[in-house]
Amino acid sequence: MAAYRADDDYDYLFKVVLIGDSGVGKSNLLSRFTRNEFSLESKSTIGVEFATRSIRVDEKIIKAQIWDTAGQERYRAITSAYYRGAVGALIVYDTTRHVTFENVERWLKELRDHSDSNIVIMLVGNKADLRHLRAVSTEDAKTFAEKENTYFMETSALEAMNVEDSFTEVLTQIYHVVSRKALDIGNDPGALPKGQTINVGSKDDVSAVKKVGCCSS
Amino acid sequence: MLKRIYSSNANGDMEDFFPVRPECQELVPKTRFKPKVGKTLSERRWNAAFDKEGHLDIAGVLRRIQRGGIHPSIKGVVWEFLLGCYDPNSTSEERGALRAKRREQYASWKEECKKMAPIVGSGKFVMSPIVNDDGKPIEDTGMELADSDADSDKKVTQWKQSLHQIGLDVVRTDRSLVYYENEANQAKLWDVLAIYTWVDDDIGYVQGMNDICSPMVILLEEEADAFWCFEHAMRRVRENFRSNATSMGVQSQLSILSQVMRVVDPKLHQHLEGLDGGEYLFAIRMLMVLFRREFSFVDALYLWEVMWAMEYNPNMFAHYASNGSNEVVVTTKLSKKMLQQYGKYERKNVKNGRTDQKSLLAVFLVAGVLETKNKKLLNEAKGLDDVAQIMGDITGSLDAKKALSEALKIHKKYLNKARIPES
Repeated sequence: MAAYRADDDYDYLFKVVLIGDSGVGKSNLLSRFTRNEFSLESKSTIGVEFATRSIRVDEKIIKAQIWDTAGQERYRAITSAYYRGAVGALIVYDTTRHVTFENVERWLKELRDHSDSNIVIMLVGNKADLRHLRAVSTEDAKTFAEKENTYFMETSALEAMNVEDSFTEVLTQIYHVVSRKALDIGNDPGALPKGQTINVGSKDDVSAVKKVGCCSS
Repeated sequence: MLKRIYSSNANGDMEDFFPVRPECQELVPKTRFKPKVGKTLSERRWNAAFDKEGHLDIAGVLRRIQRGGIHPSIKGVVWEFLLGCYDPNSTSEERGALRAKRREQYASWKEECKKMAPIVGSGKFVMSPIVNDDGKPIEDTGMELADSDADSDKKVTQWKQSLHQIGLDVVRTDRSLVYYENEANQAKLWDVLAIYTWVDDDIGYVQGMNDICSPMVILLEEEADAFWCFEHAMRRVRENFRSNATSMGVQSQLSILSQVMRVVDPKLHQHLEGLDGGEYLFAIRMLMVLFRREFSFVDALYLWEVMWAMEYNPNMFAHYASNGSNEVVVTTKLSKKMLQQYGKYERKNVKNGRTDQKSLLAVFLVAGVLETKNKKLLNEAKGLDDVAQIMGDITGSLDAKKALSEALKIHKKYLNKARIPES
């Protein structure tokens, strides 16, 4: 399939995970970002699903490989396996259900236990379009995000509000971490051999792959 | 019974039986299944398969189902036999008594649950937690909580903690179907799942059970009957749903899949292993919800019934009735007549003495799907994401019957090649 192959032309491949309680809208955030689609009929995610999209940052093409996970705790053994190698994470809660915000702490711990310490994290308050049902104030979430040192944004997958921005922000920040990292080790990113892996942390997993001299037809 | 709109056309339109909301037509995979005269088990054929006392000619019924599935008008009652709820060698009278006993049992469990959470059986359900992590009631749920000493019980707390998750999933189950526009029907699904969770507390509620349960709730009007049908379906797959902090039961099916692939297509297996996909995690959903997401509603039902017919073992009922203690070991050579009472797949296992392959047709089904995508996977998959993408593309393009015959082929190949079990 042509559309599928064209996707192959990228400079960086970043693995990002979407986590958070069940029913907060993770799958719809993903489909909004990757296909500009929203479904009122969406089903619960079983195990792990994924989608990709490429964006441009600083003249570089960044391919985001986004893994969407089941929200129920019972799936944790499976879903946490996907944290490995992730360089970015969006922890999603539902602005209309306070309990999903309370659980963010648990998700953060979970993530920090299983992933790289340099992982870029964004707290995402979804369903912000449901203003009359709001149960988590923007202020509270912002304060929490500051305390935990994560990025923060409120979104609406339904209205396509801030969805683009939240993913782009995470990917851009990862790109900054990666290029800084490359400079730190005294390497011009452009001088790396094709396909060399850049680790944002200490682990060996292939997560942020820099492709150089790739067929840019 | 199901609301039926007969069309003049002998094949009938499946949408008449399981109508899809007009605004969702575009979103659901297209249904391929059409009942075929002379192949599909019809209501008339089904009724003719019983003798005067009500003994069922299961061999004849299995033959039909394996050729063309079951007509939607009788799916529910036939499923009860396929899943081992009833013994085909019993009389109508015996089955009537058993059904009454089961309904009573269900009613008493439901009563127990109602005492702990009055919303059970009320026609409504919850989507937000009714208790906190410590099992203490959360006030603002707008529902009255009965307090009792038993509340401190871990089992009770665990059950209560799962109720909102069931609710969150119920509203997302098959909502393209007109059936679930009715809140009472959603509540029926919720009740069945809530009571199952109470009864099978060892496994509890795990996302995906809703996908397995929904067809039963639609097909069997009586809630208790739907429960027992679901409960029997769960006996075959419940181990997949067992989970702890480090693993999920479905992983043992994944490792069998890995074993099968290594034997039947070492090249593809190696390729996947090279991509760090040797664990076949991408197949989890197919195995957990038995391909419900890859097929339309009707096609998934068709796939299930043909699969269960192929896996049918005439000793299933006796085995279940003995509470599993009486593992049926075949020692004597089976007569031809006896063998006809086995489904195609199970018959092969019995002949080969492979009792370890029970209810594993789904695994061979996944292997079959992988095989049909063999070239694409070998040539185009450069990462796990490509694998997931290629496997994801099968949605709506699989033919249930073809997929199953492919699965049987692979099963045969596997049994031949794996005569001497590899360590």
